[in-house]
Amino acid sequence: MASKSMRMHWPVMLSPDPIKPLGQLQRPVLMVRDLKTHFFTEAGVVKAVNGVSLSVSEGETLAVVGESGSGKSVTGLTVMRLLSRTTARVVGGSIEFCDRNGKVVDVLGLSEAAMQRVRGHDIAMIFQDPMSSLNPVFTIGDQIAEPIRIHKGLDRRQAREQALDLLRQVGISDPEQRIDNYPHQLSGGMRQRVMIAVALACDPRLLIADEPTTALDVTIQAQIIALLKRLQGERRMAMIFVTHDLKLVDEIADRVAVMYASQVVEEGPVKTVLARPRHPYTRALLDCIPSRRDASGGRRKLRPIPGTLPNPLSPPLGCRFHSRCAFAAERCKAIEPALEAVGEDHVTRCLRWKEIEL
Amino acid sequence: MSSLDQLTLPQVAEQEARAPLVSARGLSKYFESRGGFLAQAKPPVKAVESVDLDIGRGEVLGVVGESGSGKSTLGRLILRLIEPTRGEVVFDGHRLQSLNAGEMRRFRRHMQMIFQDPFASLNARMTIGDALMEPLSLHRGLKGTAAREAVVALLEKVGLSGDHMKRYPRMFSGGQRQRIAIARALASNPSFIVADEPVSALDVSIQAEVLNLLQTLQAELDLTLMFISHDLSVVEAVTDRVMVLYLGRVMEIAFTDALYSKPRHPYTAALLQAAPGVAKSKRYILRGEIPSPSNPPSGCVFRTRCPFAIDDCAKVVPPLSKVGTEHYKACIRDDLDL
Repeated sequence: MASKSMRMHWPVMLSPDPIKPLGQLQRPVLMVRDLKTHFFTEAGVVKAVNGVSLSVSEGETLAVVGESGSGKSVTGLTVMRLLSRTTARVVGGSIEFCDRNGKVVDVLGLSEAAMQRVRGHDIAMIFQDPMSSLNPVFTIGDQIAEPIRIHKGLDRRQAREQALDLLRQVGISDPEQRIDNYPHQLSGGMRQRVMIAVALACDPRLLIADEPTTALDVTIQAQIIALLKRLQGERRMAMIFVTHDLKLVDEIADRVAVMYASQVVEEGPVKTVLARPRHPYTRALLDCIPSRRDASGGRRKLRPIPGTLPNPLSPPLGCRFHSRCAFAAERCKAIEPALEAVGEDHVTRCLRWKEIEL
Repeated sequence: MSSLDQLTLPQVAEQEARAPLVSARGLSKYFESRGGFLAQAKPPVKAVESVDLDIGRGEVLGVVGESGSGKSTLGRLILRLIEPTRGEVVFDGHRLQSLNAGEMRRFRRHMQMIFQDPFASLNARMTIGDALMEPLSLHRGLKGTAAREAVVALLEKVGLSGDHMKRYPRMFSGGQRQRIAIARALASNPSFIVADEPVSALDVSIQAEVLNLLQTLQAELDLTLMFISHDLSVVEAVTDRVMVLYLGRVMEIAFTDALYSKPRHPYTAALLQAAPGVAKSKRYILRGEIPSPSNPPSGCVFRTRCPFAIDDCAKVVPPLSKVGTEHYKACIRDDLDL
């Protein structure tokens, strides 16, 4: 147990990258710097995450948005250290986590045993498909109680009491009866509520939610989003919400990081980024979203992004988006852009951000 | 009531031009559960209940609803891929239920389907060329060079090229596979296509491409489309008219603009409000989940989740009543400001 005197506070670092620690009121709970997660496959090295920096503070939600293959899920899995070490390796960067005692933990440096004490306790994760994350042969009560018994050392009866309370908190009706159900007896929406209960069982400081509502109907999605927001507010938890759906970002997040081809291409406050994107890819993503008809009532032609995602085995030189970018100039093919500050807490990875009107 | 002989000639012509390509009357589908060893037979699952619909020539009709609302079952019923428990489908003047198996098989060339997961609907061991050749020889009797030329033409129509013929489905991306599925559906020159969640598995940039392709082809070939989707913004972008299903019943049907700008059924309003990215005026989150279709609520099936339900809602099954031009809703409360 860490005593009060041992408490360390998050060091104020002058970082070379433009992601600065936030004001004193918000302590970053997670700080990822220049993370590189590479997969060593027979076909070659896939640099799935290549130089990603992120931070998320207490009570804050950071949305990580991108298309399939952008590296958004791998980033989450790397933080949780859930990737198979036979193929995936972190070849660079750091992940620092501020635990509940204010102590800074080097996540990548932890032993597997120490990481097990963090996982599900300090950092929890929920996934898209609750059916494959829940064990079909245990009751949901047992599955919620398991992390409580492991991490909090409570006995079976006490853990069951807490499980009941959690089921109530996540809005499951008849919790006394449901607690002895098996996952297959629940609907998709209820399973996701159970997953949230499992994740929150030990009151984590950080919740990583990887497409938690993608498999759900819109009405159930709205319920789950409202639930996550309420629980986050009550617990002052930090949340990383991984999604492909830019429309959802506005509903749930404070800040958004847009990922393309293994890198963050833009990051900033949600309202600013959605209203005034400063990276051509963010603009292009917004233009793909089917939206209400234009003022004249005519159908708005959707504007797909030309071309395809670059081959992850051989990403293009220069800006990774240049071959699909409507604003690409000659230098975009040669110079790899760095993240540059474009405003308050707002960065973009574009050489031409000053000269183009998005 | 105007009978045919009271109409002037131009009116008759107009009437015929507007005659629906596809009509369904009283279409219902109950799935019986047989009750196996030691298990008791459960009441049937009422997947689709008494649906009437008309789809005009060249019209794009959207069908929306949550999972379990019966939208996919309705699509399959319309194509007679499954037999209805009650009711019938009339396609271009032909009563589908009166056709025998052989006639139905020959008739299928006029009506095709596109599914959500093209990987599951394409044979993994068949090259794309062979997969496209099959319907061409089956329905259009094309062989040899003529068939190959037709395959190339189809591939080009959907934005691929003849070089892709020799490749297998796994060698394509999700968006390309959906293009192939569309090409295959078009191979028999159909006039009607049911697209069941055709872009739901695709990334947003690919989704936009496939939607644009569908819209271009629809206009070019004057296709009639039934577009099934849970994504309200996609449906708004591509359809002329929208039907909202809940527990197998039609809740509301209207022109797309009218439905989105002024929904008249509480369920439609709730769906629109739940959809992310839709501007919210009055926000309420629908509570609970869709009830079991084997034991639907009495009266209005939506009443158990409806914030406006009154006692009468449990007593009567609300009929579809007209509330505007081609705008119908199944709700007994006319006093709601949604």
